[in-house]
Amino acid sequence: MNAKRDALVGSSFVVLVVALAIAQKLVAKTTAAPGNRVVMAPRFEVDPLWPKPLPNHWYQGMTIGVSVDAKDDVWIVHRPDTLSPAEDAADQNPPSGTCCSKAPPVLEFDPAGNLIGHWGGPGTGYEWPESNHGITVDYKGNIWIGGNGRDDAQVLKFTQDGKFLAQFGHEGHNGGSNNTENFGRVAKIFVDPKTNEAYISDGYLNHRVVVIDADTGKFKRFWGAYGHKPDDSNLGRYNPDAPPAQQFRNPVHCAELSNDRLLYVCDRVNDRIQVFRPDGTFVKEQFIARRSLADGSVWDIAFSGDPEQKYIYLADGRNEKVYILLRDTLEIVTSFGDGGRQPGEFYGVHSIATDSKGNIYTTETYEGRRVQKFVYKGLAPVTKLDQGPPWPSSRSN
Amino acid sequence: MRNTCCNSRDDAYTVARQGSPGRGFGIGGIEVAALQQYGWHLPCEEDMRERIGKRAIGGLFAALLVVLVLTEKRLPGSTEHEKSAPHAPKFQVDPLWPLPLTNHWVLGSVTGVTVDAEDHIWVLQQGADSLGANEKGAILVPPTGCCEPAPLILEFDAAGKLMASWSGSGEDYEYPLSPGGIAVDSRGNVWIAATGELAPVIGFGPRPAKPPPPGDAEVLEFSSVGRVLLKIGGKKADQDSKLEGPLAVSVDSAAGEVYVADSGNRRIAVFDDASGAFKRQWGAYGEKPEGGNLAPYSPSAEPAKQFRSANCAAIAKDGLVYICDRQGDRIQVFHKDGTYLKEAIVLKATLGEGSVWDIAFSSDPQQQFLYVADGQDKNILILDRNSLETIASFGQGGRYPGEFYAVGSVAVDSKGNIYTGETSEGKRVQKFVHLPAASLAQGH
Repeated sequence: MNAKRDALVGSSFVVLVVALAIAQKLVAKTTAAPGNRVVMAPRFEVDPLWPKPLPNHWYQGMTIGVSVDAKDDVWIVHRPDTLSPAEDAADQNPPSGTCCSKAPPVLEFDPAGNLIGHWGGPGTGYEWPESNHGITVDYKGNIWIGGNGRDDAQVLKFTQDGKFLAQFGHEGHNGGSNNTENFGRVAKIFVDPKTNEAYISDGYLNHRVVVIDADTGKFKRFWGAYGHKPDDSNLGRYNPDAPPAQQFRNPVHCAELSNDRLLYVCDRVNDRIQVFRPDGTFVKEQFIARRSLADGSVWDIAFSGDPEQKYIYLADGRNEKVYILLRDTLEIVTSFGDGGRQPGEFYGVHSIATDSKGNIYTTETYEGRRVQKFVYKGLAPVTKLDQGPPWPSSRSN
Repeated sequence: MRNTCCNSRDDAYTVARQGSPGRGFGIGGIEVAALQQYGWHLPCEEDMRERIGKRAIGGLFAALLVVLVLTEKRLPGSTEHEKSAPHAPKFQVDPLWPLPLTNHWVLGSVTGVTVDAEDHIWVLQQGADSLGANEKGAILVPPTGCCEPAPLILEFDAAGKLMASWSGSGEDYEYPLSPGGIAVDSRGNVWIAATGELAPVIGFGPRPAKPPPPGDAEVLEFSSVGRVLLKIGGKKADQDSKLEGPLAVSVDSAAGEVYVADSGNRRIAVFDDASGAFKRQWGAYGEKPEGGNLAPYSPSAEPAKQFRSANCAAIAKDGLVYICDRQGDRIQVFHKDGTYLKEAIVLKATLGEGSVWDIAFSSDPQQQFLYVADGQDKNILILDRNSLETIASFGQGGRYPGEFYAVGSVAVDSKGNIYTGETSEGKRVQKFVHLPAASLAQGH
């Protein structure tokens, strides 16, 4: 009798264990995370009609920077000179058509998508980059611009009205990754409100992060991958099967400081994020889509809008998606987007920023040439690792 | 440094483009209305309202606005001619059409769009040849990342769902190089034109290290599932059937004929749709077509006696055939036998690729309107079919919904909705929903 009962209990256990195992597998499938916990992540929906059309038959070129100011206005920088003859017909002499004209490089949109400001380009007293790259609104409200043109070795600072404030570094004066006066094709700038230090992603020619005084431009410190002394030797092509490179590859594409004072650096072509303390001490690294070749997977990052900055949003212009990572583990929780020209799709998704409401803005380079808005819809259980274009639920596939 | 939208240059352009004698700003007004109707708020309109009275220039805008409103209201009755001018149909872009493709497929340059009898939308695109390495990473060796070219031909239902897709098959079938226009006949067979030469690259598009050898300049007929049924042209064709840079194809199923816009031969060529036998041809003004070079287009010169680039052959229900002469900035109208009827110059100042890329008819039984894809100015023009006057337009250059880059194809479904295809770096198909007439009364 006892034996019989034991057998019954035993077999129930077996059934239970098997059932649990299956359930766990199912859950794991739907949560895209190890274990059987339900993973929550921010959910987004593309706003297909943001921003509103530009006036004046203006046309955007490669759009290679986005930043959100304290008013939640969205600032983008694009390259008017990348328009093809088919795009700037009205600027030609004689005009070959009425469409279109080059929009000014710096454009400011309000949260509703209205264009409310525009400026930029060469002027007196400063050297506008040959190929502007990256835009940042700092905690004082000033606008910083980098550049990755052949001779670009400077960063620029303007007021929101486009009045020139400062230039650090000089065109044509690149002196390599250990120079303390000039840069080498800067991708992006971040300004630390606590210390008034600017972190420069340097860049497309140099292989380092530089920290300068945001007012005087004085160099304070700089470092390469793993906190090494930066080195400009040619690393050759990225090989996913080789040991990780001991230096950053070009371009060093972002350097963003979190509220808890960790610096996240985009080593784009090495397909990795490296994390540092503000003094340059290496903390850890994480590879993302490590088989990605050519222009790499780690293009730009933004932190989620909560005070803890629990998530990192990472723009991958190689695989045409935005990953959502847990910031503490740097694990990918989910992703959205796909290649294409429709809303919520990307071609060369290059830059990413968040506003105070948690919405995401992205810009696209190459022939993408857009800024898109992804509306924050709160936390939701993750059901797919790869969500595809995040369309409003009424219209998704 | 602040936004100066609706600046004087822009308005001047509107007038220069669209104005006609005696109409003042009337046509410009329709254009503004049409832009608003397709789903966008014009930023300048809001600005106008806010700033009137605040600035000296505000007064000018106010005056302009009043003129626009008045002129538009008066339009139908202001002159004898305008009595007959119909209200232009209005459209609103559906920014979420079609549904996203699966399999990480992306569209290359879209060169043809057509609608079949079931209101399914057929799209022809140029695939891998028109995609940059950074758009087709998944098919490179080794793979570098996203994405993969979609099949050449895609069929969507009216809701935007992909119903079928294929790239063709059959004995001796060769993947066509540089496909162009597409048509579906009454039997449901699919016709495409292919120039056989890779198109020159505009902008930052792909630059193949080694261009492929030329393919056949041909027109292909496929069954609805992609099996080749008939080929017209190709290297072995006789003199009459030899095509050079054919850009578009239309089928007159009732007559059993297929019309080919044989651009390089500066002719419209008509073939038997069952045997592929050559039947007749004509050039501009119905004259004998002559190949060879033409002097570059000049708006001040006499219209060319030959087609510069025959880009479409659209057959109306009443038997008139509308030919796009793209770089000639004109439409020529013929009877089916090739008898010349008339021509209309459209946006004469347009240089570059020209203004008349493709034509579709409105869905009403009279086909009262022509919709002209103007890929150079990046909008859709609405013409009164009878007078061939441009009465409205929508769209503008850009990458956002309702904007265009090289919009080169246009088609209409039975409900009057418009579908567009963008070639070169546009690489999209878009839907513009026809707004019912009732909603028009609510305007202004």
